[in-house]
Amino acid sequence: MNIVQLKKLQYEEVAKCTRCGFCLPNCPTYAVRRNEASTPRGRNAITRAIIEGRLELSDDLAEAIFTCLGCGACTKACFPAVNTKDSVFSDRACLTEVHANPKIFEKLSEALNEYHNISEDDNEDRAEWQEYLKDVPGEFIEKDHAEIVYFVGCVASFFPMAQKIPADFATIMYHAGLDFTILGGEEWCCGFPLIGAGMPEKVAELKAHNLEKIKRVGAKKAVFSCPSCLHTWKHLYDTDIELLHSSQLLRDLVGQNKLDLKPVELKVTYHDPCDLGRNTGVFEEPREVIKSIPGIEFVELPNNRNMSVCCGGGGNVEMVAPDLSAAIAQRKIEEILSTETKTVISSCQQCLRTIVTNARRQNIELNAMDLTQLVLKSLSQK
Amino acid sequence: MEIDALRQRLKEIVGQDFVLSSNVDLMLYGYDAYLEMRRPDVVVIPENTEQVSQVVRLAYEEAVPVTARGSATSLSGGPVPLKGGIVIHFSRMNRILEIDVVNKRARVEPGVITLDLQTAVAKKGLQYAPDPASQKTSTMGGNVGENSGGPHCLKYGVTTNHIMGLKIVLYDGEVVDTGGKAPDRPGYDLTGLLVGSEGTLGIVTEITVRLIEQPEAIKTLLGIFETIEDASNTVSAIIAEGIVPATLEMMDRLVIRAVEESVHAGYPQDAEAVLIIELDGLKDGMERIADRIIEICLANKVREVKVAKDETERNILWTGRRGAFGAVSRLRPNYMVCDGTVPRTKLPEVLRRVTEIGREYNLPIGNVFHAGDGNLHPLILFDCRNEEETARVREAGTKILRLCVDAGGTISGEHGIGLEKLHEMSFIFSPDDIAALWKLKNAFDPVGGFNPGKVLPSLAS
Repeated sequence: MNIVQLKKLQYEEVAKCTRCGFCLPNCPTYAVRRNEASTPRGRNAITRAIIEGRLELSDDLAEAIFTCLGCGACTKACFPAVNTKDSVFSDRACLTEVHANPKIFEKLSEALNEYHNISEDDNEDRAEWQEYLKDVPGEFIEKDHAEIVYFVGCVASFFPMAQKIPADFATIMYHAGLDFTILGGEEWCCGFPLIGAGMPEKVAELKAHNLEKIKRVGAKKAVFSCPSCLHTWKHLYDTDIELLHSSQLLRDLVGQNKLDLKPVELKVTYHDPCDLGRNTGVFEEPREVIKSIPGIEFVELPNNRNMSVCCGGGGNVEMVAPDLSAAIAQRKIEEILSTETKTVISSCQQCLRTIVTNARRQNIELNAMDLTQLVLKSLSQK
Repeated sequence: MEIDALRQRLKEIVGQDFVLSSNVDLMLYGYDAYLEMRRPDVVVIPENTEQVSQVVRLAYEEAVPVTARGSATSLSGGPVPLKGGIVIHFSRMNRILEIDVVNKRARVEPGVITLDLQTAVAKKGLQYAPDPASQKTSTMGGNVGENSGGPHCLKYGVTTNHIMGLKIVLYDGEVVDTGGKAPDRPGYDLTGLLVGSEGTLGIVTEITVRLIEQPEAIKTLLGIFETIEDASNTVSAIIAEGIVPATLEMMDRLVIRAVEESVHAGYPQDAEAVLIIELDGLKDGMERIADRIIEICLANKVREVKVAKDETERNILWTGRRGAFGAVSRLRPNYMVCDGTVPRTKLPEVLRRVTEIGREYNLPIGNVFHAGDGNLHPLILFDCRNEEETARVREAGTKILRLCVDAGGTISGEHGIGLEKLHEMSFIFSPDDIAALWKLKNAFDPVGGFNPGKVLPSLAS
């Protein structure tokens, strides 16, 4: 993206920022870094200065622009509702154009181009998680035609820590008698990491491929356990098929009495993933599912729903500033522990991975579970 | 000393990571919520009083200006480093050092967020009364520097009425205490002098505040009026009756509409004015006072009085008021707020003239203000990218402040003078008065290093 395009896209948006500073206490990066470059107000000022020719596009900007989590909490605190997240992502595209972006993103882009996934694994291994399946016959998972396509996402496909999520979700859908399939090796990365990397134009090829494959299956619905895949599909993919998150599907199954939920004696809290809650508007469905399980004692986090604080795993920040991402995760963990629960439920593999990794590093006893795992636990009780 | 050498010395004082000097950082520390921007030469983020003292001493030795900054929510340019130099950002000095429940005092560092202090003391049944609309992000140091007000200051007084003592760093780096927990400190009231001095006399590094009991009961009413005049008359009548509500806040039609688009606070969009009237105190007798207020409203042709049924409804009403400044920027990208005060009885007349000034300069003006103490906040809406329009805004702003002074009021209720109202200081003070203030300034800051170019106009002008 060049500055002319940036101006067209974002000038009116950032001009709405009156520098009132109401966003400061909502920004997790400011809470850690304590400097103006780590504030939404500062990032808006940078965008504006680039457009007005007061700042050169240079490496100097990378620290401020590539550390935004894209969590959107600032916009919720902003009376003119300045969409800082999207302006920052546009800035990233401009910095990428002049090669002032972190080099790690060039590698990411090459990997996606070659492997069609973020972990540089053979894409045919996407279904590796099926090894965790116990009593679901393989032919139920990979079919040529089905009513529902389960879009698994890269993290849940390839990262061992997250592979239980698709296994558990598939098991639940199987037992609920749903007609579903996965795309297996034909599922390509949705393109989400490229937006945060400042390469939105590279999403096109991935998008075209995924849309074509899903069309071939003849699915009426696509379901996602990854909120960021869902968010990308909702905002960038032009498709008529229904797009929903696993928590929404689970809520529907609960509503139709299709799940035989048995008591789980557990005190839990729930972390709203930014891309599912604030950025897609799904707040209540996961809570309804949790509360429908007998025996669960549910407590809210002090900052919940629209005010939920990012886990530190957003915006590709982990790739460029792991220390910042870890410090934000640490604050998230402290917030969870403040509720005197030892179990946090979420609906995002990335949030869970960030939280668990940092808790382990600090030897903090904390159990983090995806909503699907909690539901399967309930179904599996004797 | 060369700038690089200065930066190096500063790094030795506060640590490498907390000295900022990149092109981007310098741009970002050049603004607040006012219009002007200037770049500092370097930014430091110290951790304690000792570091601040060393930074100030170094600045003194090297004849470099020092400007303190909190969240930079200020509306008159207070933290804008007009002459460059060092900006001290207090974001890391944000600890609540002590809450003394028995003596009803708290000791805080200047970077503590006002609302964080309020939340912490509320857990102990106490209250820090000043409540600037920006409380969720403003810092205590900033509140002290600007002598901030807020809706509840009608009943409880502004920041200065709640500050018991300060730790300040003097121009040469010396650290002194101006007061403490005890009331009635003997000698000169340095605390009172420092509050509202906008960082021009010293740098505050610790603040001791007075806490009060939380009120037993709160009742919040929303009066909806067909004309601003009726609402203004209601304000005067309530006060004349001897009733002192905790707040008496007014918003006019333009602001009501902007707020409703933003947060749906439940203000009717076709009303010309609303009043938020809040009572707090003992439960006994509150109903009676509320009834009396409703009678007064009715006598002044109120269309409707709504009563907040619970805490949620009360919060919604207040969210609208606190977000009013931000909300108007949905209409135009920028606003300038004229923080003048007038005697309450002059409100209808002055507001009428403000509307005329808006027409004269062809600028939309909204009003949201502390009606109870006559503290106006006409918001002139514009787009600062239009230079001609911006020039008109400045002229209109000056004219409104002149109007306030002519009505027997003054040029700042709570937002400070900063660099915004240097010229207008002459509306209030004679050259001799200003010269006397300069003598005071020079006694504290003989080298003119503290936030130069603010508060006092130069004697030549």
